[in-house]
Formats: sequence, C-alpha cells, structure tokens
Amino acid sequence: MKARMDKAPMDKARMDKALLEVDGLVVDYGRARALDGADLRVAAGQTVGVVGESGSGKSTLGAAIGRLLPRQARVEAGEVRVAGEPVLDLRPAELRRLRRNRLGFVFQDPIASLDPTMRVGRQLRLVLGREGRGDVAGQLARVGLDAARVASAYPHQLSGGMAQRVAIALAMAASPELLVADEPTASLDAQVREKVLDVVFTLAAGAGTSIVWLSHDLPAVARRCDRVAVMYGGRVVESGPAAAVLGAPAHPYTAALAGSAPAAAAPGVRLRPVPGRPPVLTGPSPGCAFEPRCPFAEERCAVERPAPVRVGEQDALCHRAADLVGELEVVA
Amino acid sequence: MILELDDVTVSFTTGPPLRRRRLDAVRGISLAVAEGETLGVVGESGSGKTTTSRVALGLQRPTSGTVLFDGRPFPRRRRDLAGRIQAVLQHPHWSLNPRMRVGQSVAEPLAVLGRPAGSLVAEALEQVGLGAGFAERYPHELSGGQRQRVSIARALITRPSFVVLDEAVSALDVSVQAQILNLLKDLQAEFGFSALFISHDLGAVRYVADRIAVMRDGEIVETADAAAFYTAPEHPYSRQLLESL
Amino acid sequence: MKKLRLDPLSLAGLACLLLLVLPALGSLVDAAGDPDAIVGPRLQPPGPGWWLGTDNLGRSVLPRVMEGVGTTLLLSSAAVLVTAALSAGFGVLAGYRGGYLNELIMRVVEVLYSFPAIVLAVLVAAVAGPGQLAALASIVLVTIPLMTRLVRAAAVAVAGRDYVTAAVISGARLPRVLGRHVLPNVAGTIAVQGTYALSVGISVEGGLSFLGFGVQPPQASLGVLIRQGGTYMMAAPWLIIGPGAVLVLAILSINVFGDGLRDRFEPRETRSLV
Repeated sequence: MKARMDKAPMDKARMDKALLEVDGLVVDYGRARALDGADLRVAAGQTVGVVGESGSGKSTLGAAIGRLLPRQARVEAGEVRVAGEPVLDLRPAELRRLRRNRLGFVFQDPIASLDPTMRVGRQLRLVLGREGRGDVAGQLARVGLDAARVASAYPHQLSGGMAQRVAIALAMAASPELLVADEPTASLDAQVREKVLDVVFTLAAGAGTSIVWLSHDLPAVARRCDRVAVMYGGRVVESGPAAAVLGAPAHPYTAALAGSAPAAAAPGVRLRPVPGRPPVLTGPSPGCAFEPRCPFAEERCAVERPAPVRVGEQDALCHRAADLVGELEVVA
Repeated sequence: MILELDDVTVSFTTGPPLRRRRLDAVRGISLAVAEGETLGVVGESGSGKTTTSRVALGLQRPTSGTVLFDGRPFPRRRRDLAGRIQAVLQHPHWSLNPRMRVGQSVAEPLAVLGRPAGSLVAEALEQVGLGAGFAERYPHELSGGQRQRVSIARALITRPSFVVLDEAVSALDVSVQAQILNLLKDLQAEFGFSALFISHDLGAVRYVADRIAVMRDGEIVETADAAAFYTAPEHPYSRQLLESL
Repeated sequence: MKKLRLDPLSLAGLACLLLLVLPALGSLVDAAGDPDAIVGPRLQPPGPGWWLGTDNLGRSVLPRVMEGVGTTLLLSSAAVLVTAALSAGFGVLAGYRGGYLNELIMRVVEVLYSFPAIVLAVLVAAVAGPGQLAALASIVLVTIPLMTRLVRAAAVAVAGRDYVTAAVISGARLPRVLGRHVLPNVAGTIAVQGTYALSVGISVEGGLSFLGFGVQPPQASLGVLIRQGGTYMMAAPWLIIGPGAVLVLAILSINVFGDGLRDRFEPRETRSLV
C-alpha cells in the first residue's frame, strides 16, 4: 500500500529543518477514504494555510498531526513526524509529552472546546501547571482579554470571539512549536475574525511557533500565511508560497477554486463555476481525483495517479501542470 | 413595489418573570423591493437578517411599523397568498422532507393550491439542471448542491412574483456555490420574479443583487446600489465588510 | 426509502420475541395441551406429559405459560398502540403549535409522570375494578407521559426545519403540515419509544396481575402465573421459574430490539422508559 503512494519531492536544502512532515498519509473512515496519500511539510516558524472544501480531508489531516483522529478512523499508510518524532507510532506517554510540549490546537467551535464546568482562570492554571509559565492574568492579557473579568467567567458567559481568545491563550500557553488551527474563525463574525487572527499570528510570531491553519477560504489564508497547501480528494494537490499559489495557480483545481468565489468576480462578470461536485472516495483514486471536473483532463488523468511536478515555485499533483503554465487564468 | 417594510420593529421579551427585558431583533428598518428587482441584505449572525426574512415572508408580525406585499398588508389567512411568495432557505440538509420523493416535494406547492402537477415537475427539474429522473429519488441520495436545486425548483413551480432566498448558498462548497448563484440569475432573467437575497457573504450578495441593504445590530446602516459595494460603500461598517472579502 | 437495516443483536432480540409470541398465537398451544385441563397429580416436577411440571390444580404449566405470554403480550401491545396513537396526536400538536395547548398538554403529562408507575396502575385498578381493561388502561397511563414528551421534543425539532417552513410559506394548511411533514418525521421516535413502552407494559401487567388487580384467573397471564408460582415457591420452584424466565426474556429481547431501532432512527442517545 505504502509503496504505491507517490512521495513528494523533498526539497532537501530548504526543508531539512522541517518541523512537520506528513508523508503519503492514507486514512479511512469505514469504507470512506478521507486522506488518499497526503503530503505536507512545514518548516520551523513557517505559517501554512491548508485550503480545501468540505470533504477534502483537511480536518482529518489536522487531527492526524496530533493523533487526534476519531476512533473509527484507520491509518492505512503513511507517516506523520513532528520534530522528527513519529507521531503515529509513539507510546501514550511520549504522545502526551509531544502534545504538551510541542503542539497546540485551536478548533472551530471555541465554546465547545472549553470545559463548561470550570471557570476560565482555573482551566488556564491547569495548563500553566507547576512550571508556572507566567500568570493567568498575563496569559489573558496577551490575547487581549480583560483578565479580571474573564478569569472568573464560565465559558458559556463568553462571546464566541472571547472564548476563541481563551482557547488561543490555552493553546499558546506552553509556547508550542506548532499550532494547528482548524477553521478557528468559522463561527465568528467578520469584525471579530480579523482581530482574533491578529492575536494568533502575533503570538505565534513572538514565540517562533509554526502555524497550520485549515480553512476553506483561499484568499483569507493567502493574505496571512507564508505558504498555502490546497487539498482536493484527500491529497495536497498544490503547495507553494502564498502569493504564487493565489496569483499563478499551478493546479487547475486551485485556479477553479480561486475563480469560483463570488467575492473574486468583477462587477458584471459572470462566475465560472466548477462543473460537477467534489469526489467521495471509497478507496485509492485510480487517477487524479479532479479529473471528472477538470477542463484540461487527458486520458491518463483518469487512470494514472499524478506525481508531484515542480512548476515555478509550486509543487503540483497534475499531469498537465507543465503544459498549463500561463494557461490557468487568474481572476483575483 | 412588490414588498415594502416601513419603520418595522420586532421585539421579543426574554429573561425570567419580573426581570423581563425587551430585545429588539430589528429596529425601525425600512426597505422596498421593486418588481423584478433583487434586494440583497447582508449582515452577520445576530444582525436581524433572519427576522427580516421572516417579516418579509409574513411569518413574523412586526411589533410596530407596516409591511405591504403587493401594496396590501399580509392577509390574515396565509392561503390567500399561496403560490405568490416562495422561499429557498438556508440548510440544504433540512430543506427537503427526507420521507418524500423529490418529485413530491417539488409538486407540493401545486398540491396546496389544488392544481394538477402534470408535466410541470419534470419541467421544473430540467430548469434547475437536474434531469426529470430526479423526481423518483429521495433527498438523502442527493448532494447539497442538488438539494438546493430541488428547493429552487419547488419555490419556482408556482411562478411566484416574490422569492426570499435566505442564506440559500451559504452551506454549499465554494465550487458549487457559483453554480447555484448562476442558476438563480438565469432563472430570474427567465421568469422575472423579485427577490430578497439574504446572506452573511457580501461577495455572494453583490453578485446577485441590484441593491444591497447592510444590517448591523438590528438596524439597516446603509442601502446602496450593488455597484457601490465593489468600490466604496459609504458606511464604515460596509467598508469593513468589503475589506474582509 | 432507506432499507431498515439492524445489527445482528437487535435482530436476535426480534427473533427471540417472535419465538415467544408465535406459539401462543398459533395452534401450538393446543399441541402442548389445554391450559385449563387437569393432566396429572398436583405440583409434579417436570416430566413426560408435563414438560414444565404441573401446578397446584394438576394443570400442565407449559400450555399455561404459552397462554400467559400471549395474554400479556397482546394486552401490552394493545395498550402500547393506544399510547402511541394518543402520544402522537398530543405530542405533535403540542410540539408544533406550542402556546397554551402545549402548556396544557405538558402540565397534564407532568402530573401523570410524577406518579410512580405501579401506584398509578393500582389506582386505576381500584377505580375501574380489576380485570383486563384495568390493566390496559394502567399501561396506557403509565407509558403515555414519557412517550408524549419525547414525541413533542421530536416535533419541536421537526417544526423548525426548513421543509416545514417552506410548506407553510406555500400556504399548506395545518392537517397537511402535520400529516405530510411532521408526523412522518417523528414516526421513528414513536416506533423506538413504542418498543420501550411495550417492555414497561409487560412489567406493569405482571405487577398488577401479581397483586391481583389485573388479569383474573383462570385466564393465564405472566403476572397471574408468577403470583400462583410464588405461593408454592419452596415446594414447586418450577411454577415460578418458567413464567419468570419468559418474562425476563421477553423484556430483554424487546429492549435489545428497541436499542437497535433507536440506533437506526435516532443515533443520538435517548432515554429508555425503564
């Protein structure tokens, strides 16, 4: 199984300080395949936006980084390494140490991610622990909260934005090396959204923390992250510097995604939707998962799994990536 | 004007007895939708969009202010309007009765009016880009985008003069959203209905709407032509929404 | 329509239940003998001619247990059907209409709910006089509160769904909205709670008849048999073991089957009646 999965080219020179390495990860939920050979690399201190529609596998990828996959998920193949440690093979004690010292997580629903029975201050104290990494008030102040008021509050008494700041304070309290944020602003309003993201990125920059930000919003991610990885059908189909991915997509799906968002359309210009709908995999995709919806597909796209191709500054999983340079129109 | 809201306020009382508080879901809003026009309403959760939609559909009586549909107040009996107002609502998962075949769902507004469906269901399904064969399927066999197409077919089968689209594409994947938005524009060009398009997504709203009302905290802070929302809306909050696109 | 697929365990429950009921309904009772005929000496341990022994009158226990299962299950099922019909009506109306109707229905239900089941049953029997009708009415009164509450809760959830709103906007009248949209979508809840109600019904019948308020001898029901068996528990334990085991088996298999239905219809956890 593992041998059949294509490996991403290792950009040895640039990537030897990789903090996170995901190699050919395959994850099934029952008969449904969530990840179909996903590769991702994140260097220390880097911010990476992982973009995909629902069902693309991005949440599964995020969960796999901390081995937080739901019980019914099965890892069929592949590896996840954080700072060289094989996350999927660690013993429970080692896994806890890794999560405690190196990883932080922020999830979509902030109020649900806090313990409803405990005041915020107490939850923070539990995380700060004996080592005493700064006081509770300081941690809350760092995320822009009024410590006196918030520390004695229960999670349900907080607004979504405040709860997400608390969750960020909890995740960043131990200055982790890698923060995985799964749609952290999806449930927040636009005014709050940008402020919360400011907090995340400022704190991470200060602590030298790498960020993996999972989102469905390509432009939003590209505005803030160094690099962008685009997921489709359980694989990372394109990755590269944010400006390059958004400005000159190398994969037809990235171009389609950028072009179909109504926000990207100029006045009076008709949207060009991607025909069809995202795939539902039940096993390894025989070829490129985007082939049925791709306007550039050839015969081999349906039968041959694409290997990564270097196009400009990006890596793309597309047989035709080299021919399509300059062909993929950008709307944004 | 097909729909006019004039100085409409809707209040709810909340809290325990003795400490009841009055909350205005919307406060003094006025808006109008002309024949064939699409008015967009953009706002975030809690801004009063949903209440506005319910008032426009006649499901919620305003606490004060007047609502006119086609120049007259909403009739006491909902049936007197049957077929003239329809809606496409937000949740594709719950937009169709899971125990009814697609064809039955699409035909229901006709059945309510006591009109024969005949070949209309097949036609309606064709119009929204699904084959007539979809009539025999159940909702769980469809994708989110397909379900929303069925909802649109159901809403348009009585040829209503006014359709409320409440977050009709918000739950769909980006690559599918555009299909539905284009479909809505095409169908409107063909049938000429007026529409109230409600969404939190300024990008989608300005794509389909002729004019846009921006809601915040139960009030309309700005109403302007959609074109203004590509360049420079007046209100600072509208500009903020534009910047976050 | 989705196929009704159940896990093996709940299928086994259903099979076990059918195995208990079918003989009682068919002619197998006759094959096992006349439940009222005296076939041998009194209080005989199991042996040829009386496979589960004989009772204090010399009747064979096996046909009496078969008749008893039939009586108990028939009575409980009839009662549960009544409960289901009433709960469906009240629950759907209360849940969909809300307002004063909801308040009224729910207050009545809460008062009923606050009585311990067996006290309520005994009260009914005292008022209506002992007999099958009293047992039936008791089961209905005991099972109706929870079922109505759960149907109401399900109806509240369904009432908020977009397809119901869409039907209302289209101008559909109340009977259509309730009949086409709300009721079919709470039917799963009714079926699941019906199975739990059935097992409660069996225990209520058992309890009432045991106390002498329910089914009256010589007609056999599980409760009647257990009561008779209790008198001779030391001398002839087979008198109570047979009907007791059948009662436990019936309740167990119904609950297992109900859990399977619940997992199928309402994946989120709900309370069982017991």
